[in-house]
Amino acid sequence: MNYLLLVLAAVMLYGIRLMSSPKTAVAGNALGAGAMLGAIAVTLLAEGIITYPILWWGLAAGTAVGIVGAVKVLMIQMPQMVAALNGLGGGASALVGLIIALQSSVSGSFAAFTTNLAIMVGALTFSGSAVAALKLHGAINQRPQKLPYHAQVTGAAAIASVILLFRTGGVAVALTQLGLALAFGVLITMRVGGADMPITISLLNSFSGAAGAIAGFPLQNPLLVAVGGIVGASGFILTQIMCRAMNRSLVAILTGRTTTAAALSAQLETDALEEEVAPCRWQEALAGAQRVVIVPGYGMAVAQAQRLLKELMDRLERLGREVRVGIHPVAGRMPGHMNVLLAEVDVSYDKLCELEEINEILPEADLAIVVGANDVVNPAAMNQPGTPIYGMPIIRVDQARHVLVLNYDTKPGYAGVPNSLYEQEHVSLLLGDAKETLEMLLDWLRQPREEEAPSGTHRAAELLAEAQRVIIVPGYGMALAAAQQQVKQLVAVLQGRGTEVKIAIHPVAGRMPGHMNVLLAEVDIPYDLLYDLDEINHEFAGADVAVVVGANDVVNPAAQTAEGTPIYGMPVLHVHEAGRVVVCNLDRGPGYAGVPNSLYDLPQCLFVEGSASETLQQIIDALAGRS
Amino acid sequence: MNHLLLIAVLAIATALGYKVISEVPSLLHTPLMSGMNALSGITVVGALVATAGAVSTGQRLLGFVAIVFATINVAAGFLVTHRMLRMFKGGGGEE
Repeated sequence: MNYLLLVLAAVMLYGIRLMSSPKTAVAGNALGAGAMLGAIAVTLLAEGIITYPILWWGLAAGTAVGIVGAVKVLMIQMPQMVAALNGLGGGASALVGLIIALQSSVSGSFAAFTTNLAIMVGALTFSGSAVAALKLHGAINQRPQKLPYHAQVTGAAAIASVILLFRTGGVAVALTQLGLALAFGVLITMRVGGADMPITISLLNSFSGAAGAIAGFPLQNPLLVAVGGIVGASGFILTQIMCRAMNRSLVAILTGRTTTAAALSAQLETDALEEEVAPCRWQEALAGAQRVVIVPGYGMAVAQAQRLLKELMDRLERLGREVRVGIHPVAGRMPGHMNVLLAEVDVSYDKLCELEEINEILPEADLAIVVGANDVVNPAAMNQPGTPIYGMPIIRVDQARHVLVLNYDTKPGYAGVPNSLYEQEHVSLLLGDAKETLEMLLDWLRQPREEEAPSGTHRAAELLAEAQRVIIVPGYGMALAAAQQQVKQLVAVLQGRGTEVKIAIHPVAGRMPGHMNVLLAEVDIPYDLLYDLDEINHEFAGADVAVVVGANDVVNPAAQTAEGTPIYGMPVLHVHEAGRVVVCNLDRGPGYAGVPNSLYDLPQCLFVEGSASETLQQIIDALAGRS
Repeated sequence: MNHLLLIAVLAIATALGYKVISEVPSLLHTPLMSGMNALSGITVVGALVATAGAVSTGQRLLGFVAIVFATINVAAGFLVTHRMLRMFKGGGGEE
């Protein structure tokens, strides 16, 4: 049986291995769950205890509570969830140790020692995690709490607890150990401030595994020992990573020697700073930025602004910008927390960059947008020795050409160090609730199109209303915008007003010869309205309005004049000869040939920017409204 | 199993665990932790044995609580990890 149990432990380890890639991680987790189920079944069968009803009641109750908890928990609450589960794991191991001690069935000093140790580690994990979970949940004050003679009391409890480990002696020792360890756990965690929670729960995660491993000794159960060891190692690694990322030493955190020191002095300095937060140049920065790096912090999560952040990313990308997200190891409240919060709103993990990666990108970035992050982007970590964050690795947003900070206020972060970033020349501050400020950016990004579009489409409708002869020039952009129906409607509306309408088809309109004709035929536009290049070109001069819908190179007058460009000499539709030209293209960028369209600069040209299906519809509506 | 053998198991498992877990990217550290919560629920195995062997009502009660605690860990740990992992999507959007 022991070997079977070790095989199950190996399966669980393999499951963790699958977690090294997001693609296989789901399977890895399922494998772990299967192995756990196997372990429970094997134990019940091999020990011959499968018929004990109390065991089944316990399993049923635990499963029910666990499922409800797991389904209900919000992603932002994951740190307190993990903290609570750490505590339950530790608590279970402590109770197992206690039962063994009460049975006094343990023989030999090694078994007594390990039983006692399981009670100790399990109990302090339980009470410490309970405090951590309550702090994270905001149920109790998150600030470090200090009792009179705190260090002395804590030390005394620790020493007494360790001495007890070496006492063999039944119930009294076990219960005293239990009490001491519970108190010790509370004393330690109550001194830890909110900022150091990622480290604390990583450590407690490690302890919950260690408690299980230790409980495995008196029970002589290799599975408990092995799996407990794995969990202990995992928590240990994460604790190390967090300590490095925050530039803290474990001892300093557990003795409460961090967080508080600099907070007061900083307060005064920042009050002065707030006055200076003046007109913000973020609009220019946002308008011109090609490469954008976003650095979210826990402030973003607090403001529940994840969805808006994702929207901002989408909008920037739709405008052709390159967007990356920099994740500091301690962004959020526990290792990897920020990744989960962003995954929840469907941010692709390819866009998420770790610290080193993003720091290589930042010097090339046009704009860095900080959303609710503070200490992790504070240059003081590099140049102000003596501050608590000095030496902590940070995301170098200061290296970007422009920095836009969307923080709630200019107060220092958890570490209490004023953020020297705010004073730098190329940094703009947009203070307030991240949800509102992000909405501001989004509004502004939407603006140019919406502002221009209504007036542009309105003007276009006016021109068309007065026109006698109209030529419509569809291009592949129309097909991309799926605006065929709108073209058909426009034709119908114009014809209904007695306007003469022709449609000009360039030989290379569309993606293959005759493609455009097929696309228009599909929406029942009669083919006798369609004219090819040679038929229509001399008619533009007599047309009142030419409407370009998603066509670019084929209407670019540069083809006749700009020698040396790829389109020079290509026959184009002479749209520029029409009285007025309305261009319904997505943007003003050049077409496939990469040559800027000189048509757009002509005085008779009215450019209506945006997706043709929307802009045309607005023109049609405005036109229909006039009659 | 004797103590030395168990200590060897502990050492090997911890070392292997350390190596395997070091390769988990920081992207997945939160699901990793909740997955570890589930695994630390392995104590349920010990709780089952200890409860079955309990000789008094008090012990049985303690054992019952231990089983409930550990099973919550197992169920909630695996389920919540599953919930999180399913949310991670790559560039193509489809998983």
